[in-house]
Amino acid sequence: MGTKEEARGTLSSTDFGVAASAFILSWNTICSSFPPWTWVLSHHQVEGYLSLENILLSSTQEEHGELSCPGPGKHSHQEDPIDVDDATLVHTNPCKVHYCDLHIIYCNSYRVPVLYFRAYDSDGEPLGFDEIEKDLPAYSKKALSDSKWTFITQEEHPYLNRPWYKLHPCGTSEWMKLLFHADDALAKTGVTIELYLVAWLSVVGHVVGLRIPLEMMKQL
Amino acid sequence: MQAESQSPSSVKKVVVHLRATGDAPILKQAKFKIPGTDKFAKVIDFLRRQLHRETLFVYVNSAFSPNPDELVIDLYNVSCRIFINFSYYIVFFIMAMDKCLLYWVI
Repeated sequence: MGTKEEARGTLSSTDFGVAASAFILSWNTICSSFPPWTWVLSHHQVEGYLSLENILLSSTQEEHGELSCPGPGKHSHQEDPIDVDDATLVHTNPCKVHYCDLHIIYCNSYRVPVLYFRAYDSDGEPLGFDEIEKDLPAYSKKALSDSKWTFITQEEHPYLNRPWYKLHPCGTSEWMKLLFHADDALAKTGVTIELYLVAWLSVVGHVVGLRIPLEMMKQL
Repeated sequence: MQAESQSPSSVKKVVVHLRATGDAPILKQAKFKIPGTDKFAKVIDFLRRQLHRETLFVYVNSAFSPNPDELVIDLYNVSCRIFINFSYYIVFFIMAMDKCLLYWVI
């Protein structure tokens, strides 16, 4: 990350690609029993975005509305990968089962990652934000009502051209700057490119109830 | 009495350092010893009460913002130290937003 970008809490598009690769590797190693983040190339094959799809989002389940990673307890080599399909895990109460897709897309104008999300029920019917909100844990609702930066708008997905919910990036560089430079006494050199997305998602994840395993924070 | 019946590890206390950043005022007491079994949410609520501000940006070790449901002891185990940074987060970007696009204005 260039010094100037770092000082502004932003990221260049090339660095976003670097950060995304590091993030995918780290997440998929630590959270091997959670659906993996993948890199999706755009149709021009030059740009891409991070994608995590078919995650269970339902307050009726054990997770209590949290998109929670089971943590590092399970490792892929211990089990057949075919069994680890979260999309087929719950059929007990189909009408209550909601799924969520998360995409992290680079925003050229703000030079920061942006979270896009959508939710749908087991029939594929898209959910409105009022319905999504019902599934979110209490702290997410609080984050949405307390923090002025947590604007959610519905906009066209830049690659899929369909309406997705988007967490507006207007405040992102400000709080990323705080994460980078808050404490000189700790002699931190700032978050490196590779760790940018973990730090970023630790903040953004609150809004959609995505719990980042603390194992991932050990890198920071 | 309840504490006695718990295992020693569950009542382990953790020292947290509260550091103001940005425009937030420095607290008179910046070091606290709190039970490891407390949730991080309790720290956030404490800061909200002390600073009389609902909107705070609270993060740990100048690196990440933990889930409020995380236990303090688990945060301690990540890095063996807890420096909790807090800052007023004043958003001045709201005016720049295209209001036509807003479906959900908080």
